[in-house]
Amino acid sequence: MSIRRTLLGLATALIAAPALAQAPAATPAPVPGWAVGRPEGSTLAPHAPRLTVTPLDQVPVGAIRLPPGFQAEVFAHGLPGGRTMAEGPNGTIFVGTRVIGRVYAITRNPDGTTRVRTVVQGVTQPNGVVMVGNSLYVFAINRVLRFDNIEANLDNVPAPVELTEAFGFPTAQEHGGNHDWKFTTLGPDGRIYTNVGVKCNICEFDRDRFALLVSFKPDGSDRRIEARGVRNSVGMAIHPVTRELWATNHGRDWAGNDWPNDVLLRVRRSGEDHGFPYCGGGTADPQYNAGRNCNEFLPPAALLGPHTAVLGMRFYTGTMFPEQYRNQAFIARRGSWNRERLSGFDVVVAKIDANGNVTGVEEFLTGFRDDANQKFADRPVDVHVMRDGSLLVSGEQTGTIYRITYRR
Amino acid sequence: MTLRSLVAAAALAAACVAPASAQDKVRGAALAQVCGVCHGAEGISRNREIPSLAGQQAGFITVQMILIREGIRNVPAMRPFAAGLADKDIEDLSAYFASLAPGFPPDIRPRDAAQADRGQALIGPRNCAVCHQASLHGRDQVPRITSQREDWLVHAMIGYRDGTRIGADPQMNGAVVGLSDFDIAALAHYLAHRE
Ligand code: HEC
Ligand code: HEC
Repeated sequence: MSIRRTLLGLATALIAAPALAQAPAATPAPVPGWAVGRPEGSTLAPHAPRLTVTPLDQVPVGAIRLPPGFQAEVFAHGLPGGRTMAEGPNGTIFVGTRVIGRVYAITRNPDGTTRVRTVVQGVTQPNGVVMVGNSLYVFAINRVLRFDNIEANLDNVPAPVELTEAFGFPTAQEHGGNHDWKFTTLGPDGRIYTNVGVKCNICEFDRDRFALLVSFKPDGSDRRIEARGVRNSVGMAIHPVTRELWATNHGRDWAGNDWPNDVLLRVRRSGEDHGFPYCGGGTADPQYNAGRNCNEFLPPAALLGPHTAVLGMRFYTGTMFPEQYRNQAFIARRGSWNRERLSGFDVVVAKIDANGNVTGVEEFLTGFRDDANQKFADRPVDVHVMRDGSLLVSGEQTGTIYRITYRR
Repeated sequence: MTLRSLVAAAALAAACVAPASAQDKVRGAALAQVCGVCHGAEGISRNREIPSLAGQQAGFITVQMILIREGIRNVPAMRPFAAGLADKDIEDLSAYFASLAPGFPPDIRPRDAAQADRGQALIGPRNCAVCHQASLHGRDQVPRITSQREDWLVHAMIGYRDGTRIGADPQMNGAVVGLSDFDIAALAHYLAHRE
């Protein structure tokens, strides 16, 4: 009966509003941003997330393969959706997420085991976490929150200071749900570096508002564009010696299994253009090149594989690992969905020489990708260098933080 | 029943469930007594704008329950019932509802061939089968959308189109962008009658 009422209402609306009264066959089907360029008949779609706790005995730590001398252990688990990591002055590891809307805090118990608390909940994709002094900054989609003195208040987290307006990012509506989650890192200059992704899979857009790397003073003032034409960077770090900003960047979808590469970017001067959407991985886009020469734009510092989904990256500044890893970039590759055969699901190292040139990209942590069965056991999203020189790696699919150590 | 009386009836049922110790589906069945008040005894809803859960993908139910519990998906009617659930409870509930046979609700509106045809004609151009599978029975986090309540399907699609519902990712918002109320009603009618 109520259905009939709804339909009656609709019928009235149709009469009242001629704009709606077109024949369904003539209804234009605007292509949603994420699907622009998708070939007819493709059955590729993003993988299902896991948002419930994975019991310890199902955490695939045993699958991990590392170079000789390295070992993997479970640092913490039971953090569904755990992705990005930031460390507080007292050693608390804060972990941001996307879909589940939480930020976790990992502390060490006196016996060396870890304890996980949920310190933020119900926020839309709080993927950006960064510590500035004693304050935890959480960059959610279109919301920036500052939790002061957080490590002293883990059991009773104070109400955050709202900085959303001060940072003034494009709204979720302006992004149309595309690439609006943030990654954040603190520069040695005291500025917060972050990303504003593009509002589509591929399209034209305002080059001062989207597809950017940007930096701010921690109060949200003094916005500076660090790089333009960067489609979707969800990982960046400042080189410990040269102080240059480096970032990972995702290439577009739906342009074939092997084009374009996801890339590593080196930002030498603030504000330069890296070429999206005209060029991808340094070569012309098949549909969006618009007659541009890719030499007009900065070339990528390294190619990191098609659709590998390169995310968190850090330079290794510890002393536990062998000397050859010092100041090299560890990069998490979360793994592909827009590719018939899986790629990524690992951590690689980009070797960078004294002139800032990448001399090679090596596999570091593998074993999650099962090529024979086209399955994966976990999805690395971020890496973090601990003060003792061990490396944390987050596994989003199982909500685990792995710890990698080295013994001679 | 009104939503308020449903909430009250469900609260009573919740109080009556003894903590179960068995595994998965069986444990889920015990936990699900409270859900039946709104979602139907065998997971086939008799209530307007409340979805059937019988035969739904377990992965979808789990993800939605987490989103509802965490307050990311705002469902005030379910808040008291989702709030205290452990992850394991949710997985068991999902396993239980996924194991039930899907079916048409008793109050299904007679099939209007012309409207169903209009709905069917949109499925191909809108790529619904890419994610929901050719059967439209879904996979993992992508739900079954057949033999579902028509009023619910309308409500769900309007929510995605108007941005009041955003799922685990914005894929559905993209899939229904630009559809008129007329199109949505036709899609819902077609899907509601399809096995
Ligand atoms: C008081 C009534 C009520 C009770 C009790 C209830 N629900 Fe719901 N549930 C709803 C309503 C109303 C919606 C639709 C929400 C909306 O409009 O988005 C819903 C939606 C859902 C959804 C989303 C399904 C979809 O297709 O989008 C799931 C899953 C769900 N409920 C599971 C449960 C489970 C499991 C229980 C028992 C633990 C339960 N519900 C108890 C009213 C109820
Ligand atoms: C790109 C993948 C994709 C496409 C294409 C797609 N869907 Fe979906 N659909 C999803 C996902 C994923 C969800 C669950 C989203 C969420 O978390 O709320 C969903 C949810 C739904 C729901 C909500 C069901 C419920 O019980 O809550 C309906 C109805 C639906 N889809 C209908 C359709 C129709 C009709 C089409 C074609 C017009 C379509 N979908 C196209 C991925 C897709």
